Amino acid sequence: MSSESKNEEWGSKLGVILAVAGSAVGLGNFLRFPGQAADNGGGAFLIPYFCALFLLGIPIGWAEWTMGRYGGKKGLHSAPMIMGAVGKGRLARYFGVLGVLIPLGVSTYYVFIETWTFAYFLKYLGGGIGIVQGTSIAEQTAASGSFYASITGSAGDGTLFTGDSLYTVISWVVVFAINIFFVYRGLSKGIEKFVSYAMPIMAVCALIVLVRVLTLGTPDPALPEQNVVNGLGYMWNPDFSALGNFKTWLAAASQIFFSLSVGFGVIINYSSYLRKKDDVALSGLTASATNELFEVGFGGMITLTAAFVFLGLSGTTAAVATGSFGLGFNTLPVVFAQMGAFENFIGALWFFMLWLAAITSSLSMYQPAIAHLKEATNWSHRGSTTVIAIIGTIGAGLTLWFTAGGAFWSTVDFWVGTYLIFVLAMVQIIYFAWVFGIDRGWRELHQGASIRVPSIFKFVMKFVAPAYLIIVFVGFTVQNFGASLQASWSNTGSRVAMLTIAGILAYLMVVTIIGEKRLRAAGVDIDDRNPAD
Amino acid sequence: MTTLGWIFMTTSLTLVWGGTFWCFKKVLTSPRGEKEESES
Repeated sequence: MSSESKNEEWGSKLGVILAVAGSAVGLGNFLRFPGQAADNGGGAFLIPYFCALFLLGIPIGWAEWTMGRYGGKKGLHSAPMIMGAVGKGRLARYFGVLGVLIPLGVSTYYVFIETWTFAYFLKYLGGGIGIVQGTSIAEQTAASGSFYASITGSAGDGTLFTGDSLYTVISWVVVFAINIFFVYRGLSKGIEKFVSYAMPIMAVCALIVLVRVLTLGTPDPALPEQNVVNGLGYMWNPDFSALGNFKTWLAAASQIFFSLSVGFGVIINYSSYLRKKDDVALSGLTASATNELFEVGFGGMITLTAAFVFLGLSGTTAAVATGSFGLGFNTLPVVFAQMGAFENFIGALWFFMLWLAAITSSLSMYQPAIAHLKEATNWSHRGSTTVIAIIGTIGAGLTLWFTAGGAFWSTVDFWVGTYLIFVLAMVQIIYFAWVFGIDRGWRELHQGASIRVPSIFKFVMKFVAPAYLIIVFVGFTVQNFGASLQASWSNTGSRVAMLTIAGILAYLMVVTIIGEKRLRAAGVDIDDRNPAD
Repeated sequence: MTTLGWIFMTTSLTLVWGGTFWCFKKVLTSPRGEKEESES
């Protein structure tokens, strides 16, 4: 290994926790969670939600933290090599390629969505997005929709490169440059330093918005039922009948799963830079708890309450039906427009907070690919970062061009950001519990641990989590795989997306094979013939 | 908001706020692993 790689590590315990939490906290915490809860039993949704947190999210997270630190002990930092060591062979190593494909693939469109938040933020700072206060809600919704369409280029391929939409491309250049700047600076001087400021600032922004929303009272005396307490009731009043529906339990598990970023390939990479006896049990729990604070503590209190107070029951229900992005980028600006003098301040604060949530996630998406390339080729950090930045630029260029109906990015999101995450998490927990061995994994988890994990989780990690993921994977594959694949080949944008995924996968496989040869020649124990525990 | 709504909301908020504070308190008061061990 290069000496540069050998010396790379986190500056502090808190730094790695905030980096993992920052990677997990994203737009879904503020936009997706409240919609899912409202759609699936309100307060009652929290029962399957917390069950999934303790039976799926936290245990798989612990497995990933443990595998990453174990790989780090052997000098390995990329998901393929770490998985190869944990799974003792080539098959596990090639499955581990998903741990690089997922973050790199998702980064191609995630930075684009991050750009929307940044563009909205700048527009609110400059006086708003063109919604005229005092006009009817329908007119305001139309103005908001028009701005949203212009920023996202949803009208057609290539439209972002014409007229006012160029604003998005320029914003993307700025956002991408900020990402690359911090990634260039490395783990402790770049990512860790950024998140150590960004996470507290994001919490303060969320707190200010929360206080503003909770003190809205009854803004329109003519509509007394549209008040804060009823808004909270819309989100939290439990409907226990939803618990009898399998869909509710599946939705809760999916929300936990994607929100915590387990099976994403970031935790395994980040934790490989820990020291041998650094705690992973408490760190994993703290990162998860931080994510839950932003999701339930802020996301569950702000978004729908604000929408209900100004749009009422039918307006909020309609907004939820438009999905996370419709709610966040189309409806909430209309809500802010009802706040009078506060409109631009709250709008800017809200989108700045969303931008921080997004950038703390996107920063984590390049690091696994950089580590993978460095490890395979022994190139410098700067050289590897440059190559990944070029790949990121090509991917983002395709995302910026193929915007019609969001086909390109939604195809990558479905296959890489949803389906493959399930696959990777399933593979990881099976290798951890059944090949590495649950007893060995349990001992490894507790090395240097600041807490003792209750032994029931040993059973959960060995049986419950793998069984759940296998059932969902098989069920989805049997029922939807063929149709989803066909849909992903139905138009130009989605076809280009599928080819892009294939291209990135081919690149990663080649680099992995090069890395295998180089590390073997260098005498590195990539198949774990001599355990490091 | 119904009484059950209040109960679900306050229980959930107590769990996430309390859990997060407990975790961070524990992290900030626990020592870190020895540095030299990572360099062997």
